[in-house]
Amino acid sequence: MNISAPEQSCSRCLYTSRHALGLVIDDEGICSGCRIHEEKDRLDFAERFETLKRIVDPYRAKDPRNYDCIVPVTGGQDSHFIVHVVKEQLGLNPLLVTYNKYFNTPLGIRNLANLRIKFDCDILIQNVNPVSIKNITRTTLRMFGSLHWPCLAGQTVFPVQTAVRYKVPLIIWGAHQGLEQVGMFSHGHEVEMTRRYRRDHDLMGHEADDLLSLFDTLREEDVWQFRYPDDADLAQVGVRGIYLGNYIRWDPKAQHEQMVATHGYQGARFARTFGTYDYVDCYNYMDLHDHLKLVKHGYSKVTDHACREIRHGRLTRKGAQALVAHYEVQPPVHRKLFEEWLGVTRGGLDFIIDQHRNPAIWEEVQPNRFERRVASDPGAEDRAAVEAALSFDAHAPLDRGTGHGYITIGKGYPL
Amino acid sequence: MIKKRLVGVVTVRGGWAVQSFGYGRYLPLGRPEVLVQNLDRWGADEIMLQCIDRSGGDIGPDFDLLDRVARLGIATPLIYSGGIRNANDARASVNIGADRVCVDALLHDNPDAVAQMGYLLGAQAVIAALPLSVVDGAVLWRDYRIGRDAPLSPEVIALLNEGAVSEALLIDHAHEGHPGAFDPAILDCGLADNVPLIAFGGISDTQAMKGLLKRDAIVAIAVGNFLSYREHAVQAYKEALFDVPVRPAHYNRTVYS
Repeated sequence: MNISAPEQSCSRCLYTSRHALGLVIDDEGICSGCRIHEEKDRLDFAERFETLKRIVDPYRAKDPRNYDCIVPVTGGQDSHFIVHVVKEQLGLNPLLVTYNKYFNTPLGIRNLANLRIKFDCDILIQNVNPVSIKNITRTTLRMFGSLHWPCLAGQTVFPVQTAVRYKVPLIIWGAHQGLEQVGMFSHGHEVEMTRRYRRDHDLMGHEADDLLSLFDTLREEDVWQFRYPDDADLAQVGVRGIYLGNYIRWDPKAQHEQMVATHGYQGARFARTFGTYDYVDCYNYMDLHDHLKLVKHGYSKVTDHACREIRHGRLTRKGAQALVAHYEVQPPVHRKLFEEWLGVTRGGLDFIIDQHRNPAIWEEVQPNRFERRVASDPGAEDRAAVEAALSFDAHAPLDRGTGHGYITIGKGYPL
Repeated sequence: MIKKRLVGVVTVRGGWAVQSFGYGRYLPLGRPEVLVQNLDRWGADEIMLQCIDRSGGDIGPDFDLLDRVARLGIATPLIYSGGIRNANDARASVNIGADRVCVDALLHDNPDAVAQMGYLLGAQAVIAALPLSVVDGAVLWRDYRIGRDAPLSPEVIALLNEGAVSEALLIDHAHEGHPGAFDPAILDCGLADNVPLIAFGGISDTQAMKGLLKRDAIVAIAVGNFLSYREHAVQAYKEALFDVPVRPAHYNRTVYS
């Protein structure tokens, strides 16, 4: 935020004070994310799970033909574990909702199908017309260098719209990313979903109507699907979104491994990170979107994954440095799919990307040629050995060996 | 008559809105502008934007931030606090978009400048922030820049008792950010009974709010961290404060053009 302020680094993980969500580093040189993570080894999570039971209990529908709660899902993140907790541990009857992000991988569609079949749940899928999605993507790429805004906006608003429309007030999310990454809240704050957080962080400060401008071709008919329900409507239904991460010791690697073993979730290898379980439903999130994150903020998803593993005690800081230095410079491998989808040339996309290079991080050494001012230090650790010891498993390639690009309509895709 | 207020506090450090705990521990929250706009939509009666690292570094008010907030076009009265060094800084803050200013360090450094501010802008536009704590039965005033506690100075007491500023923001700095921890004993800090008070620091539960707002001297309650944990936190407080004279809860409905 304050670009002129000196950059501080956490002495425990690899995050710096330039984290996109904001990060506070204390007098001992430890970041707020690491401090809040310490709570995971201090809190009595058995007791906290009882608190969770007490919170959800009043929301059980009296009519068995209605749903107890809404659970937003995808084919690529913590959805299997969330639905496992909601349905098999809390005994709730959830309505699953998902947003068609258009960048779907065959593996993500497979995982989503697996989810709804294995857990035997109803699911609603929101499809916004592709013309509007492309219009918005052009605008958000140009305005603030994001190709993923429509995905993030859809995933975070469709569950809330559904809660209002179906009058199912309780929405259950997995972990709060602000808490997990930068320690925005203590677990004890029991933070809940807010429109403020969505706008501030999920949407990078821009709600749907903020995208409209006299100087752009984007129109109201393109963005209205992404409008957050009004306060009056939320209050009338009593909509409330809670995060399981406040009540369960959140450990994505362990949870994914459990879901692989018990419910058939599948992960995949990525070019730009060692993590294999997150966002396997999207060709762009860990790829071109991740490259843009490096361009704008100076770090990428591999740093998020490395910091998480450091905090869970499975990775040393030096080992993490070796992984980050290797992965964050890898080129995106699915970029051509995006260029063809949006109808943009390679040079045109490069031009847009370069408009968003953070000058505190990048130096233009020749016209249109940029270098990091300070490259990540790989250290002396053997990257391959570090990665092997972490043992993130992959089960299929993103395209499941089909050679298929984006799956724009996922309905009925075979397992 | 609706005459008491719920003030939403946005604390800013290093350009980021933060949660603050006891003036010593901080957690990041996000962009100050987004928090301000949210409090405006929620119907806070007043918003205080306090930049806590401006006076310590003697870098003056954060006019850039104030300008960004002013451009939001919010309808809620805005108090700006942080780095105000003299009456000119206060006037510039009002010119940019603040409705009122709040001073803390300047009360230690130059109480006369605060009085001058009152003459320039009108006393109604100036608030005195007093971080207080009770130590061995005595209410002490903290200079947060050096962590020193001392009794309130006669000059500052006179400034407030004579009405040179409009209100005193009494901050329980030790309990700030901790739920239900506000110590009402700091209210007995030696000011005259007719000095209007705003209570802040660890006020989270509605019973405590009611008890405070029913006191004649208290004109407002200020709340910071606790407004970031739930949707409609301001409205929820207001609904619970139905028997004290605060503006009722308002749930916004957007009219799209």
